[in-house]
Amino acid sequence: MNTLQRRFFDFFAPGARRISFALTVTVVCFLFAFPVLWLILTSLRPQSGVYYVYRGLDFTLDSFVQVFANERLVQAFVNSAVIATLATIFSILVTVSSGYMLSRFRGPIASGWFGIIYALRCVPFVTWVLPLYFVEQRYGLYDSYVGLLLPHIAVHICFFSWLMKGFFDGIDPSMEQAALIDGCTRWGAFYRVALPSAVPAISALSVLSWLFSWNEFLFALILTGQHTPVITVVMAQFVSEMGMQWNLMAATAVLALVPAFLLTLFGQKYVIQGLKI
Amino acid sequence: MQSKNTWRKMFGEQQRFMLMLIAPAMMLLILFQAIPIFIGGSASFRDWMLNDPKKTWVGLSQYTSVLSDPAFLKIVLPNTFIFMFASVIISLVIGLALALALNRPFRGQKLVQTILLLPLMVAPVIAAIMVRWMFNDQFGIVNVVLEALGGEGQPWLVQRWSAFSVIVLTDVWLWTPWFTLLLLAGLQSLPKEPFEAAAIDGTTAWRVFRHLTLPMLRPVIVVCIVIRSIDAFRTFDTVWALTGGGPARETELLSIYAYEQAFVFLDFAKGSAAAIIAALIILVVGLVLYRLLDRVRKMS
Repeated sequence: MNTLQRRFFDFFAPGARRISFALTVTVVCFLFAFPVLWLILTSLRPQSGVYYVYRGLDFTLDSFVQVFANERLVQAFVNSAVIATLATIFSILVTVSSGYMLSRFRGPIASGWFGIIYALRCVPFVTWVLPLYFVEQRYGLYDSYVGLLLPHIAVHICFFSWLMKGFFDGIDPSMEQAALIDGCTRWGAFYRVALPSAVPAISALSVLSWLFSWNEFLFALILTGQHTPVITVVMAQFVSEMGMQWNLMAATAVLALVPAFLLTLFGQKYVIQGLKI
Repeated sequence: MQSKNTWRKMFGEQQRFMLMLIAPAMMLLILFQAIPIFIGGSASFRDWMLNDPKKTWVGLSQYTSVLSDPAFLKIVLPNTFIFMFASVIISLVIGLALALALNRPFRGQKLVQTILLLPLMVAPVIAAIMVRWMFNDQFGIVNVVLEALGGEGQPWLVQRWSAFSVIVLTDVWLWTPWFTLLLLAGLQSLPKEPFEAAAIDGTTAWRVFRHLTLPMLRPVIVVCIVIRSIDAFRTFDTVWALTGGGPARETELLSIYAYEQAFVFLDFAKGSAAAIIAALIILVVGLVLYRLLDRVRKMS
């Protein structure tokens, strides 16, 4: 459609383009939101009613009451929150310096480190989670907080170092060089000059890191047992080992969605500003 | 003191600073990735059943047993590659369209953006369980809607290709927001001037997209493809919760295959061999993708 045609179209059908745009957006939003809406609907159904969701109008908050009464579930929520938060803090601490190094320096150490990171990022999780199970059992880390937390940090290192590097690449290093000339140490230049300018990237990666850890499943499945219940594993158990309790699974999932939703609601602005690749 | 002196001699002040910056990350990677990979590699040459760990050296026989397994060659390997291509391409196209739509202001933009990011907030394993429920042949909403529209309900998850499509669909739903986010960030960091010039010239939207946006966005797009391809290749959660690799192991991916060998059939050595093979394949794929990325960077 050329400009003339478009003007013609707009003249006879004012708002037609806007209406079709709005319609498309609404349909796409509905499709994207549907599984979540369905999850919420299922969580509000009584135990027997989930099989007739498309008919009856029975709604109840009973599943949520049951979730809160379940000590193991509450424990799982606390565990997941603690691990996601600590994993976020530590993985940011570790990757901000690694990304800075990758961005500011050249030479065999920098390119070697980049090669290692890229290669390890490629390795499928199963390749190292299966043996990690034995390592953790031998050192008594299996089914403990630390045993789950440390792999959660390690898994972010490769990807986040890469993203941090991309962000530092976009920041002019002349300020740090000026600080070095003024007698600042290398650490001082990193800590006082580079770090404050990386705040957008740090906030972006914090949001992503927290979401990833909160929703992580495979590590928790293999590296935890009775003592360290984590929310994703407990939810999955509702529809396998403990029978088909769809309503309880859905209620737990809805509750698990709340913190993730709030974080995304307030954090999306920072993610979009801070992600430079 | 001796060791400190050699340390000083070997590396200059700058090199020491560089190593210090990566030391914590390197330590974690060695302890929790490199050592386990090494142990897995060593196990893949042994006879190591979980219920009977003899740990005797058997050479390459685990590898030949995986590579001559018809299930591995005819189902798992093609599945993994088809899954990777389908999932990455579909979510790239949708993610790019959504990022373009979100990049211009309209009323309710913020709300739409939040809704489109919803899948990012849901745990993949929960999304998969939910999709399994929605596609249930007796009680699932999908069949109910189909029947209400006059169609016929399908037993989605008990046929190979329909089950496979549902898995791809779930993965696309889960990861499209990720493309949208990265591409939106890329779009917003593009310089404004060329677009203003194009607007003054009255260039059509399609030409602006084809000749301005797309070439300028190409590096970001390639990074997205590299990241997602690697992730798609090692997908576990979605398939595990949706079909468990079924019907009759027909939707298994490499990760599921390795996990099953080790924890279902208790053959840790064979599982490790499969995992090492998966790692080698993806390393080659990753290398090819990285060369592509490098070429695109140099072009623009």
